[in-house]
Amino acid sequence: MFWGSMSNCIINILIDGVFMSELEEKTENGSVGAVEEGASGEQKAGGDSGVGYGVLFFIGAFVVCFLSGWLLFPNLLYSKKEQPFNFNHALHVEEMGGCDSCHFFREDGSFSGMPKTASCLECHEELLGETEDEAIFVAEYVEKEKEVPWLIYSEQPDCVFFSHAAHVVKAGMDCRSCHGDIGESTTTKTYEENRITGYSRDIWGKSIWGIKKNSWDRMKMDDCAECHQEETGSKGACFQCHK
Amino acid sequence: MKIDRRSFLGLGLGAAAGVAVSPATWKLMDDSSIWTQNWSWTPVPRDGEVTFDNTVCSLCPGNCGLSVRKIDGRPVKIEGRADYPVNTGGVCLHGVSGLQYLYDPSRIKTPLKRTGDTFEAISWDDALELVATKLAEIKDAGKADRIACVTNHGVGTIPGLFGRFVKALGSNNVYAMDTMDKTWEKTLEKMHGVHGTLGFDLENSDFVLSFGTGLIEGWGSPVSNFKANSSRKERGATLVQVEPRLSNTAANADTWIAAKPNTEADLALGMANVIISNNLYNTGYYVSGFGPGFDELTAMLKENYSPEAVAQTTGIKAAVIVDLAKRFVKAGAPVAIAGKGKGATPGSMREFAAVHLLNCLAGNINTKGGAWILSPQDYDQWPAVEMDDAASEAIEKPAMDPAGSVAGFFAKAGADKSVEALLISDANPCFALADAQAVTKAVQDIPFVVSFSSFMDETTQLADVVLPSHTFLERTEDLPSGAGMARRVTGLAKPVIDPVFNTKNPGDAILAIAKAMEGTVGDSFPWESYEECLEAVTGDLWSDLSDQGYAAVQETPPATRPSVDFTFVAQNPAPIAAEGTEADFALILVPLDNVRIAAGSIASSPFAVKTVADTVLLGKDVLVEMNPETAKANKLSQGDLAVIETPRGKATVKVNLFEGIMPGVVAMVKGLGHAMDENRYVNGKGVNINELMGPVMDADSGLDAVWGIRAKISKA
Amino acid sequence: MKQDKHGKNHKFGMVVDLDKCTGCGSCMVACMSENNVPFKEDESNKKDSLTWMRVYKITNGKSFPETEICYMPRPCMHCGGKGDHGHSPCVSVCPAVATDYDHSSGIVSQIYTRCFGCRYCMGACPYHARYFNWWDPKWPEGMESYLSPDVSPRMRGVVEKCSFCFHRYQEARDLAYVEERDDIEEQEYQTACTQACPAGAITFGDLNNPDHAVSQLVEPDAHNCGKPKNPKAFRLLERLQTNPKVYYVSEREWVRKAGDNYLDGEWEKVKNNHGKDHG
Repeated sequence: MFWGSMSNCIINILIDGVFMSELEEKTENGSVGAVEEGASGEQKAGGDSGVGYGVLFFIGAFVVCFLSGWLLFPNLLYSKKEQPFNFNHALHVEEMGGCDSCHFFREDGSFSGMPKTASCLECHEELLGETEDEAIFVAEYVEKEKEVPWLIYSEQPDCVFFSHAAHVVKAGMDCRSCHGDIGESTTTKTYEENRITGYSRDIWGKSIWGIKKNSWDRMKMDDCAECHQEETGSKGACFQCHK
Repeated sequence: MKIDRRSFLGLGLGAAAGVAVSPATWKLMDDSSIWTQNWSWTPVPRDGEVTFDNTVCSLCPGNCGLSVRKIDGRPVKIEGRADYPVNTGGVCLHGVSGLQYLYDPSRIKTPLKRTGDTFEAISWDDALELVATKLAEIKDAGKADRIACVTNHGVGTIPGLFGRFVKALGSNNVYAMDTMDKTWEKTLEKMHGVHGTLGFDLENSDFVLSFGTGLIEGWGSPVSNFKANSSRKERGATLVQVEPRLSNTAANADTWIAAKPNTEADLALGMANVIISNNLYNTGYYVSGFGPGFDELTAMLKENYSPEAVAQTTGIKAAVIVDLAKRFVKAGAPVAIAGKGKGATPGSMREFAAVHLLNCLAGNINTKGGAWILSPQDYDQWPAVEMDDAASEAIEKPAMDPAGSVAGFFAKAGADKSVEALLISDANPCFALADAQAVTKAVQDIPFVVSFSSFMDETTQLADVVLPSHTFLERTEDLPSGAGMARRVTGLAKPVIDPVFNTKNPGDAILAIAKAMEGTVGDSFPWESYEECLEAVTGDLWSDLSDQGYAAVQETPPATRPSVDFTFVAQNPAPIAAEGTEADFALILVPLDNVRIAAGSIASSPFAVKTVADTVLLGKDVLVEMNPETAKANKLSQGDLAVIETPRGKATVKVNLFEGIMPGVVAMVKGLGHAMDENRYVNGKGVNINELMGPVMDADSGLDAVWGIRAKISKA
Repeated sequence: MKQDKHGKNHKFGMVVDLDKCTGCGSCMVACMSENNVPFKEDESNKKDSLTWMRVYKITNGKSFPETEICYMPRPCMHCGGKGDHGHSPCVSVCPAVATDYDHSSGIVSQIYTRCFGCRYCMGACPYHARYFNWWDPKWPEGMESYLSPDVSPRMRGVVEKCSFCFHRYQEARDLAYVEERDDIEEQEYQTACTQACPAGAITFGDLNNPDHAVSQLVEPDAHNCGKPKNPKAFRLLERLQTNPKVYYVSEREWVRKAGDNYLDGEWEKVKNNHGKDHG
């Protein structure tokens, strides 16, 4: 509704602008009736050339703005951040098993999310393999007993309460439904942070129009509501997901 | 072709259309609406794994068990520990606010040394060295007996270490802040000839007769009393409250007896007279335990405390007194209790003895639901103190206050200015003692004051060296219960967080100073750390303490009943009069304890201050409570700014009318009027009633027995 | 498709025994601490002092020594509205759907990021249970460290109120999910104030569940808008038909009478058939 009224409003302004300028021109040239012939002739000639430039300018501006909106804007909107080091999900899934071997439920029903460095120690107490990433991990985090400041692609804002238990255990959903193929990734992609909201780009989705092909392409509230509507027959109560 | 207005129009329209069909506008609208939801200055608390740590609260003598909820090791909430024998899950508002004390703006972040009027931050090594050197100088000059220490509580191993340290130097001047426990001790010495303290089995009593105790206003061990009071109905028990003002306890009681101020003892003695003259006392105890003085007592009561005479004194009808006495003594498990308000001040021994007389007559000593005479806490077993010749010589000199009263000590210190050095731990006498100005002056006159405090409170502000302490959430400490509890539980406080600032456990600080002093002083402290000391001296108790966080020391009444010596009461000791004359000061000002305001050594937390009603504190003004009749007589109305004056001082206050207070009595809450610049949540709010009231020393106990002061009030 | 519904609806409610309440204020602070409620230097202007749970002091108005006082803790009443259709006073007026009635729990929610601070709900609430953030919350340096992640700290310009510690319900349900239980136990979901109350004056649970203590204490009449059948129980401003889920119990008649405004003679008519009275 909001979008509809906004676009109506903009269209109205455009129409008003064009109409008003024509009316003004007419009055500038004196009484409309008296010099109708000449005035219209002159106007036509001048108008032709004006329209020519006008159209040119219109097209020029349109193309520039259109292209900037499509190409430049997304690059300006998101700042790019690299993860502390590269992480190979595919390798770990192969070695460790399913997602829940690292991203597990705690005894109290809460979801552990990012694994703590301590939980990696069983294998990574000392260098495991010869990659540069492994070296960084062991030297910077294992030895210094620090947590890795991962940038979380699916990080929701503070006002969101998300229950993994409700979705994964109760509703039996697959991790992939929301997180896609991350388990098959061999490298960590560049994290893109929205300069205005501070959110990860993956919340809105890669497509700047927010169009999604897969269920995991976007993580906005509408996407949650859409699935809730389908699966439970209701979008759910507000505080089911907000705190 | 020329560039005209239409060209610009085209440019504008083209740009608008271009942007409109590009995603920029729509995306920006969404983003900016999200932007308005998240301000960078609104904190986002980090999520993580939830764990719970148990510890014990030491904000008041109640010592409740706490369960601290933590997120990835970060404490976020304090709750009551459900399996703790004192509070079984309940918790008072000060305990819940505990985390605010960790980050209190008046916390001392590092050791400090006074230079002129300001403090200078110094290292721990320098600070400890400074204190050790100075104390050694005093000791070497043969003035060791002029070194004193004041701790908050008198029991447990941290106060124990302070006492031991001062003794090792050669001084008997070891004091803890006075509470009702001290008066009970003196009363027991007089009436039973035993050294110990009194506990009340309120949770099993079926008739509690309270002489002005704030049973649900923080008296004794607050949460334990809340629970006992709350179960009253289910148990069919009765609570009778004697008090000139409708306190919360009075309001919650089954019967409120509005006796005139300071006539509690008269009422108790009047009841005793009814009980004795009707032969209603416990005959079994009469045969086995009633010792000297009973006949004299009988005669004295008959002469002075007839129901009619007592009715005159107390303003309670004679029939009510007789009925109350009969109901009390005929109850299955009656108990009479004394100690006004929170019981944080000692009170008059006449009153305590008169009240305890009722317990003796009812024969409820050391019975279920009665009053238990408990031997002193002695689980901590210390090796003998080693002393060199100088210390042995100095220790022969008596303590400055032989009764062990901290009020008496400061009075003496202020008068003869003979104290050379004072160590203060977790106590704030310059705020909490009556006549705070005089105590402040006395502390200012002491040449060397060392404060072991977590906060820059009124007393610490006067220190020469400040050795900042861990708060109760950062330290290990054994916390024995006391404060009127019948059952005995010793709790173990354990750190739930690493120290937030550069502070130490005061026990460790004392050990370090002793070691730096070397010689016999150092030798008296053979432990490497406070924790090692704690484990060593608590002996048998340690395994329980460390395993379950507490040790239940005593749960059943003591087996024997000491005999009663009635001589003291039979002498009919005189009541403690309020300072001032009725001619000059027509009204009586009484302090009142409000459970939401911390009135002792620690200031209220911001949360606690927030809960205080606007009829108690409004802006920076304290409201004094008075009956509308009193207000009318003094030409005052609700909310008026007024000046209250006592023989000790005057203050500007506001007026709050309350029907529930006796005409002629004005009440002012304790615990306000802090002067702590850093803590804007308490600083300058209200008036410290201790600036309007002076101590009134009780000749019988040697303790401060002030209960109120004469006053007058007029519109400002 | 997996079933996501949780059997029958809950109706969480609270019973406060006013004869047990001592006015100690533990509930107020437990609430503030649990829910990241901020504080200011001066909180003595109670109109702008954020207290989701507030303990009021009422008196019988008689003069000394006949005076009596009673403390009355007041959280959000989580009104169900007439017929429990969810038309609580605040929900009905919110233009932003920032506050809403949840039929599965009977709790009135408040979403801070959705609220734009028009304060209609505050005007509509007959219990003064809603508070407006006139200022941004500020904690003394370092004190933010104690904030809980369970409840978002609010910003200036939004309304906040008691949520019956809904996050505790969410957490209890999460545990039930991973333990593959259908529902939570009574003790698994208790509000912070209930848990802290040293007098045990507050009872919390499901009013729809006859096994829960709250139901047994007040015996809500399901056919009469949840009116208590227990004659010692009452609700605040019962006759406004806001249908609150917070009940009070007291043996004292003057206290029960203080729960609503009565014209001369009105109380006499309702006091004895309290609970049976229709309308």
